[in-house]
Amino acid sequence: MKYLLSSAIILLCLAISKFIMHLLDASFPAPLLAMVLLLTLLLLGIVKEHQLAPCASPILNVMPIFFIPAGVGFIEHLGLIKSHWPFLTAVILLVPLSSLILVASLVGYFKGRANND
Amino acid sequence: MTNLTTSINPSLWWLTVPFIIILFIALRAVNLKINQSILKSLTNPVFLSIGIIALLLVNLKLPYSQFASHSQLLSWLLEPAIVALALPLYQQFMHVRKNLLLIVATCSIGIVNATLVAFVLSILFAVPSQLSASVAALSVTTPITLLVTDSLGGISSLAAAMVIFIGLLGALFGFILLKLVKIYNFEAQGIAIGTACHAIGTAAAIAEHPKIGAFSSVAMALSALLTAVIVPLLYPILVNTLL
Repeated sequence: MKYLLSSAIILLCLAISKFIMHLLDASFPAPLLAMVLLLTLLLLGIVKEHQLAPCASPILNVMPIFFIPAGVGFIEHLGLIKSHWPFLTAVILLVPLSSLILVASLVGYFKGRANND
Repeated sequence: MTNLTTSINPSLWWLTVPFIIILFIALRAVNLKINQSILKSLTNPVFLSIGIIALLLVNLKLPYSQFASHSQLLSWLLEPAIVALALPLYQQFMHVRKNLLLIVATCSIGIVNATLVAFVLSILFAVPSQLSASVAALSVTTPITLLVTDSLGGISSLAAAMVIFIGLLGALFGFILLKLVKIYNFEAQGIAIGTACHAIGTAAAIAEHPKIGAFSSVAMALSALLTAVIVPLLYPILVNTLL
């Protein structure tokens, strides 16, 4: 019963979000809207953590398996990758480098840079 | 020779899903046995699973379309799994209510920076718009990247592979870089790693120090939500104003 309720909550949020996105004809991904909807329900106390956990915890535990097929799809674009590898390398290096330094410096500005253990 | 697929019995394609599951579970079991931080990052089971399957498909000349259609069950389950992400997000929310404003603000700035840097690079390198859209949402966990990139008209699988590379780089060199710029504060290190290097970086942060790991988990969870909201709004504005 607890598994049924937990999966029903997740699927209902997904169905409502898909319906809303269908009505609005917008390109925002429905699963993300469903995630925000479910988070709102949790914060408002309408859905309780223990009602959601029976299905949510195991599905999150094996979640990486679900995006392996999509990840493999890059082999369809090997030509594009070969011809733009300098750009892709620059993005892989500069995006995390700049974000790491910027975010850490900002938090460090407010909280101090020293070890606070 | 040109089409090896004809020599492979089509009835064997049903093995696709069991193969992915067994491969991932085996690689994860190996990864869990490794204690050394650098080796643990390099043997990331998602990274290795994608790499091994890609090598198999390319070398055996098996069509990706067949592989994708026979692994559709797994791709379908990604949607409810993304909805379930609300649970860890809620749990992290409860832990950091006191510092929520600072974390939300810095995560948002980090996400805007990542999209902006990638966009400026795509202008400098004059790449096609499809490639530019593919690198707009890289500062976030893979499932969210897949969805957001898809909605922007980019190549989601390329974005997913790049996100994993970024996570690995963060796990391997993130803390060295932060110490080089003299930032030792656990909160600053954790929030930066969680925002820029998502799950793989967070795993390294947990190994570095539990407190850094806790902040990194919070930043990663919030980044998932903030990226989903910010990037689909920001990217069209950048395209309209800078192109």
